[in-house]
Amino acid sequence: MSRVNPGAYRAASARTIQNEPGVRDSVGSATRTFDANRVRAFGQIDSERWRDWARDVKTHALTNLDRYLEEAEMRLLANGAHVHWAESADDALRVLADVVARHDIRSAVKGKSMLTEELGVNDHLEQLGVRVRETDLGEYIIQLLGEPPSHIVGPAIHKSLDDCRRLFHAHLGTAPDATPETLAAAARDALRQDFLAADLGISGGNFLAADTGTVALIENEGNIRLSTSLPRVHVAFVGIEKIVPRLEDLSGLLQLTARAATGQPIGNFVSLIQGPKTNEEVDGPEEVHVVLVDNGRTELLADDVAWEALRCVRCGACLNICPVYRQTGGHAYGWTYSGPIGAIIAPGMLGLAKALPLPHASSLCGACVDVCPVRIPIPDLLLHWREQAVEEGLTTTAETIGLKAFTALAERPDAFSAAGALLRWTPWSAAGRSLPILGGWLQERSAPHPSQKSFRRLWEEGIE
Amino acid sequence: MSGRDRIFARVRSALAGRDRTELPESFGEWRLKSPPVSPVEGFQALFESAGGEVVRVSDRAGAATWIARFSTDFPSVIFGEHVPAELKPDLPSVTPEVAALGLSMARGAVAETGSLLMDARDGRRAQLLAPTHVVVLDAAAVYASLREALISLKDDLPSAIGFHSGPSKSADIGQIMVRGVHGPGRVIALVIDESVIVQDHKEGIS
Ligand code: SF4
Repeated sequence: MSRVNPGAYRAASARTIQNEPGVRDSVGSATRTFDANRVRAFGQIDSERWRDWARDVKTHALTNLDRYLEEAEMRLLANGAHVHWAESADDALRVLADVVARHDIRSAVKGKSMLTEELGVNDHLEQLGVRVRETDLGEYIIQLLGEPPSHIVGPAIHKSLDDCRRLFHAHLGTAPDATPETLAAAARDALRQDFLAADLGISGGNFLAADTGTVALIENEGNIRLSTSLPRVHVAFVGIEKIVPRLEDLSGLLQLTARAATGQPIGNFVSLIQGPKTNEEVDGPEEVHVVLVDNGRTELLADDVAWEALRCVRCGACLNICPVYRQTGGHAYGWTYSGPIGAIIAPGMLGLAKALPLPHASSLCGACVDVCPVRIPIPDLLLHWREQAVEEGLTTTAETIGLKAFTALAERPDAFSAAGALLRWTPWSAAGRSLPILGGWLQERSAPHPSQKSFRRLWEEGIE
Repeated sequence: MSGRDRIFARVRSALAGRDRTELPESFGEWRLKSPPVSPVEGFQALFESAGGEVVRVSDRAGAATWIARFSTDFPSVIFGEHVPAELKPDLPSVTPEVAALGLSMARGAVAETGSLLMDARDGRRAQLLAPTHVVVLDAAAVYASLREALISLKDDLPSAIGFHSGPSKSADIGQIMVRGVHGPGRVIALVIDESVIVQDHKEGIS
């Protein structure tokens, strides 16, 4: 398994903000660009209807998951692909180890896939003695750095052009002031050798169409097309929630995902993969393995509220708009999936105790729910997990008392304003650190001073 | 019980008591707010705005003439399996790994997304490895919507279909867009369109 440590979120985010100010700059500018592109792309379509439609297709697929998984399996087998079922990361890695042993695999190329990050595929391959190369340019950058991705669409958005110049100068011998074009060309040359030499191509899967057994993959660089076309064996890891009923359902989902992620009408390259090379074809992999992965997804599905998070198409729009994510990027979250989506699926997939305090890493501003292409009610799910944590006694005593006190106060308007008045007149730096909810948060940062007037008072007097 | 059976058991127990919802109506009743004049126009507008190039000729002879002239700048070529002899320029045909130019046939295209539909039966390496890729497209095979294209593909699927909607690109280095990262950095759709008269004339004589 890859590094999983959401518990250190508070300390890790404080560390990022204090020690790596460049991260906030790079992440802030990249996410603002992504989001501006999404706004423009949503403006060109009837985005409300598209999003209703996408929500309904994914909900239908999830509420009939058993039926469509059976159908997809049947179709894939008929297409000549191998189908494997992995309950856990260990199961998935065992399938990979078998393929490696049977085909005497020495080197692999991999297209960007968050699921393979979740499973820890790269570390496992290295242990098996297989040289694995990330081929997406952003993934390649962070592989050279030995870091995990910090964003589900742009894995290296926390790195600046200068960071890349230094890195490529050290690894590929490019000039210290090389242009982005020169850097990309150097990476292309280095990676082309890896593509041509690799025996195994590894990918994830954005969608799996049940009626044709099609694994659909979205990208911009062409590295996924190459990774799934050149090596003699292709292994695709696909989460069981990626299923859609019919090939034609990809029509809306491919377009909406691209518009939400980068503002494009569609990814530059889309691969629709049915199985291995047929007799009428001159090239393509001789064997295709599709590994259908659970690894906590059925647990999330079983939660009567949070299962809706399984509709996620991993577009990253909720990260891009999130004021909390923008401060730190993804590493602080301590898990493959960061930002609002990470915070709502971690408790279901990892267990609530392990996922805390991620459901608290949000101001509940609700910006994410307005951008989500499949209308996942993210703030509701954050609250659901927070309540669940209190119910299960998983929050620290102080936080539990704090939340209970807050609830009690909020239910009684007179007491609420009295408590507010008290807070506004308390010497802040000392009091802030001893407050029940804010205490942990304030240990690593200084708090803003409370306003001299309550919001309700300002509202009544008329806010400028 | 196998892992597969346990996964199915967990899925079924999670879904027990939950409403199984209906599939919504088909996607595509509500396209872009301003739909294109014709599928070819729509394809061209989007393909060009993604950085692709479009050349329109009126028949195969016009296409052959254009290819012959265009290819003089290239030392070598790799042909897709279905490129007819009459379109093949007089260039050394080499392996895809070293070819300077790739020439392929599109199975079709999609106006709604500006995508060329590339069938694996035409040869994947020819579609992906050369830095410049010329794709011959029959205007009659341009679908207005992605949904129509997918419905028509469904009856005859090869091992893989690639949608190519412009040159390879990436903004992973400092958020600056660069072209030609892994796939072709230059891609030209050569559209054979019988309704094109003026342009073909110009292509023929210039
Ligand atoms: S939760 Fe919604 S907005 Fe966030 S990544 Fe998933 S689909 Fe995109």
